[in-house]
Amino acid sequence: MQNKMILALVVALFSSQANAIDFGKVLEDAVNQKVEEVTNGNAKSTTQAAEAPSTPIAADSATTVLPANTEAAKPIETAEPTKPTINWKNPSRDEEIALGRTIAGSLLGAAPLVNDEKLQKYVNQVGRWVASQSERPDLPWKFGVIESGDLNAFAIPGGVILVTKGLYQNLQNEAQLAGVLAHEIAHVVKKHQLKVLQKQQLVNAGSDWLKNKFGKKNKLADKAFSAGAEISARSLDKDAEFEADSMGLVLASRAGYDAYGLPEVLQTMSQVKPSDNSVALLFKTHPHPDERLAKLAENAGGKLDSVKAGKTLENRLYILK
Amino acid sequence: MNQKIIIALLIALSAPLLAVGAESGTAIKADTLRAEPFADAKTVGNLSKNDALDILTKKGAWLQVKSKNNTGWVRILSVKRGVASGSGQLKGAIDVATGRAGTGKVVSTTGIRGLSAEELKAAKFNEVEIKKLEGYTLSAEEGQKFATAGGLLPSKLAYLKGAK
Repeated sequence: MQNKMILALVVALFSSQANAIDFGKVLEDAVNQKVEEVTNGNAKSTTQAAEAPSTPIAADSATTVLPANTEAAKPIETAEPTKPTINWKNPSRDEEIALGRTIAGSLLGAAPLVNDEKLQKYVNQVGRWVASQSERPDLPWKFGVIESGDLNAFAIPGGVILVTKGLYQNLQNEAQLAGVLAHEIAHVVKKHQLKVLQKQQLVNAGSDWLKNKFGKKNKLADKAFSAGAEISARSLDKDAEFEADSMGLVLASRAGYDAYGLPEVLQTMSQVKPSDNSVALLFKTHPHPDERLAKLAENAGGKLDSVKAGKTLENRLYILK
Repeated sequence: MNQKIIIALLIALSAPLLAVGAESGTAIKADTLRAEPFADAKTVGNLSKNDALDILTKKGAWLQVKSKNNTGWVRILSVKRGVASGSGQLKGAIDVATGRAGTGKVVSTTGIRGLSAEELKAAKFNEVEIKKLEGYTLSAEEGQKFATAGGLLPSKLAYLKGAK
């Protein structure tokens, strides 16, 4: 009797152990499937939304109200988004914000916001708090998740940060989201993208001036601009990326989050095959995540040894439907 | 008597499950293995870049790892987690438990394109979407409120090397 019981128990326990393994396998399959869905832009429950990334141009032409980049030179005073002017040598805060608006609007033309108010509100709450720890807390910071299965995030002058849905769905806690947003916030704080645009505009203006030596004075300063999302497809120099990683880790930590959120996301990225389409643009415009992780370790040295453990807040991470 | 046997059995059977808790990793840079999780603790060995590791436990900014030759402590940022070597079923289960499954085996997405540089260059300004985005703008006070609700306490921390 006792023996039978023990035997039954052994069987029961072993099979439950086996179940545990199978359960793990099931979970693994589910996660793999999710990854597949994400990378294919094909999530079941969001079929409608997920169709957008595969046909962003079509979606855009249906919703665009005012074309920004038409060459028709309308008077500058009329409604946006016709070309405002900018002092490229030394853009003011307002000029930077106006420039960012045209860039962000153009990027949203390629990939619109995910239609989920709670999600967008949530990323704005996290982002706004992290941005408050930076040297530019007074910018009108805006954060958004866009319809794309890519793993990527974009910093736009003036304080606009956009994260792809594909990246968002790979996050495991709020500290990781904070880390990603903090990296982009650092780009804005250091005006990395703005400087690239300035350089380009000044080079253009310089060649204009050379072509027409007797051109009007101040042509350079008052030149109207038309900037689109293409800046987001351009690489910054490696040091700018390493700097944004280095600063981003600190900004998230200052905000009370676990300092390792950003490196954890880099680890996730490093495990995606470079040949995968979801990271094509990211890997084209950024150093490989392994290189970034190594640089981050080098830059941090022992400076995080005494940092108090921050929060990861996995329970507060908003889960996309 | 029966109960004792059951308890003993439960313990015996759960032990091997607990023992599988090790996660694998790789040294992302050359570093020193230390006897304890402190910068001035005794050196017990060295890691070379790309050394395979088992991650045993975490404490503050440190991980206890087992390399081919030694066991010791190394800073979190020196280790890349969850890579290669021996990906059996059990490892899969652990990866899931730590939320890392799938990342190493992303399926091919041939035929599906991501956001390309060409697409971004061709993109047209979308007034409706930018207005929507602007509608989500929060004030610093609203951010603060959200932080307080999550128990997030701001602290001072200087930028690291590499930040100008």
